[in-house]
Order: sequence, then C-alpha cells, then structure tokens
Amino acid sequence: MALFLAYDVANNPLNTNEWAFPVCEVLHILGFAIGIGTITMVDLRLLGIGLKKETAADLWKGTFPWTLAGLALALITGPLIFSSDPNMYLRNASFRFKITALVLAIIFNYTIHRWVALKQSSGGLAVLAGLVSLVLWASVIFGGIFIAFV
Amino acid sequence: MPPEFIQALQNMSLATAIRESALVFPVILSLHLTGMGLFGGMILMTDLRLLGVSLTKYPVSDIVNGLRPWKHLGLTLTAGCGILLLWSKAAIYYPNPYLHIKLTLFALIIIHSLVFRSVYRNVADLDRSPVIPGRAKLAAALSIILWISVVAAGRWIGYWEPKGAPVNAAQVN
Repeated sequence: MALFLAYDVANNPLNTNEWAFPVCEVLHILGFAIGIGTITMVDLRLLGIGLKKETAADLWKGTFPWTLAGLALALITGPLIFSSDPNMYLRNASFRFKITALVLAIIFNYTIHRWVALKQSSGGLAVLAGLVSLVLWASVIFGGIFIAFV
Repeated sequence: MPPEFIQALQNMSLATAIRESALVFPVILSLHLTGMGLFGGMILMTDLRLLGVSLTKYPVSDIVNGLRPWKHLGLTLTAGCGILLLWSKAAIYYPNPYLHIKLTLFALIIIHSLVFRSVYRNVADLDRSPVIPGRAKLAAALSIILWISVVAAGRWIGYWEPKGAPVNAAQVN
C-alpha cells in the first residue's frame, strides 16, 4: 500500500485524457463479456441445460482460447483502471471483495472447473461445478459495480 | 416527448424508489452488467462462428441454435434492467446524446435482425454449405460492430453532463 502513497495520480493519462478512462472501461466490459460468456457456455452444459449436442470437454476446449483472450483483455484494462486511483480502490470494501472473488474464480476455473469439464458432462459434480462457477463470476461483476456505490 | 411527461415518468413512485435506494439501483445495474457478462459474449461467439473464426469444429447450427435461448434470456435480463435504470432517471438521462445514440443503435439492431432473419433462422443450410456465404458473414460482422457500439454508447452515457449543470448528476432533480 505504501508503494502508492508517493504516486501522484494527477499525472496518470487516465486522469488527464478525457477518452482514456471510458475506453478502458468499454474494453474491460467487452473482455469480461467474452471471458465470462464463454465460461458460462461450459457452465450451461455442466448444468445440463444448454448446448447439449456438445460434451463439456468439447466446449471447454473450443472456448478455451476465447476465454483466455477475454480474461486477458479484462486483466490488462483492470489494472489500468486501478492505476487511476490506487488508494481509493485499496480502501474500497467492494473492490477487495471483487479481487477476492476474482482470484477464487480464476483458480476455480483452471483447476476444478477444468477438471470436471474435461472428465464428465453430467452428474452431481458437474452441476455443482457449473453453479459455483456462475456464482463466483457473478460475484466478481457485482463487486465491480458496487465499487462506485459503497 | 414533452419534458413534463418525462419528469412525470421519473416522479412515479417505483422509479423514485429505485433512484433513491442505496441498494436497489446498484443491484439492478449489477444485473444489467451480469446479463452482458453471462450472455453478451455469446452474441460474439455466435458471430465469430458465422465468420468461421471460432468453434469451427462444431456445426454452425449447434452453436447458433444452442445459444439462441440463452441469448434471449440474457437480452431479457439486460434490457429489462436497462429499462428500469432508464425509467428511474428518465428526466436526467433524457437530454443525454449518448442515450440517443444507444437508442438509435437498438433501432439499427432491430433492422439488422429483420434484414438478416433468413441467415439466423436457416442455419441448417449453412451446415450443408462448404463455405459460409458472404451474406452470413456480413450479418455477423455488422452484429459485432453494432453490439460493441451499444456497450460503448452505454458507458459514455455516464460521462456526459449538461453544459453549466451541477457536477453531481443527482442534483439535477
């Protein structure tokens, strides 16, 4: 935290250029829409309610590069947005919640979610993995929006 | 529309309750974004499949038909929340040029869906076709451009303020 205390946010291009901040936000939204949207496709299959013509493993593999690209875009623009006012974000309870949920969601996605999707397309474990995934990613979005309201 | 009507719309009790609640407004906004997050990406995946860029191992019909009900659910959730947000601050948003741009884009999206109805409804034809026809690719490319523009216009709504107006938009009331 001390790292940011001497840093003057007024010189950050995100705060001096009228367009920079909203452009970052739009790219952030597009990034998570692609990343989370493709993860949701796997989740719907695991829950047994969508895309049943494909197996969960096929969907995982087919969406993998797009999930990665979407999350990468969100994870590049996210820290840029953060850099516009680090001390505000670090003190913000909703931001802390979001980052916690985000770390859990990413770890879950590339460990348990991946393992279940590649192994099986139905059953209790698949349903559980799909539900946990949806709840984690929705929490990240809620946490992000509430940063402006707490 | 007469400004009095817009103001009356915003003054209705449910709209006022949404606007003035510290919890309800952000919850609806979060659901608006969750709708985009869960289902907006599926529009892009559908269009990228039509362009032959993504999910090419799977038949076009599997992807387009499989995602259709979920995109409809997402659109209902996102648009429903959007209408509530707009209603709750109708008079505040009314003069916002980015709202006008966003609504124009929705009109273009409706026209797009009518013009290219045959592409999305007859996807089984595309499965049998060795190459995806130019018309389907055009539909997909325009769809991507339109939806990204909707997101951009939506975000810019929050940055516009009337000339000479108070900095805090809430004071417009």
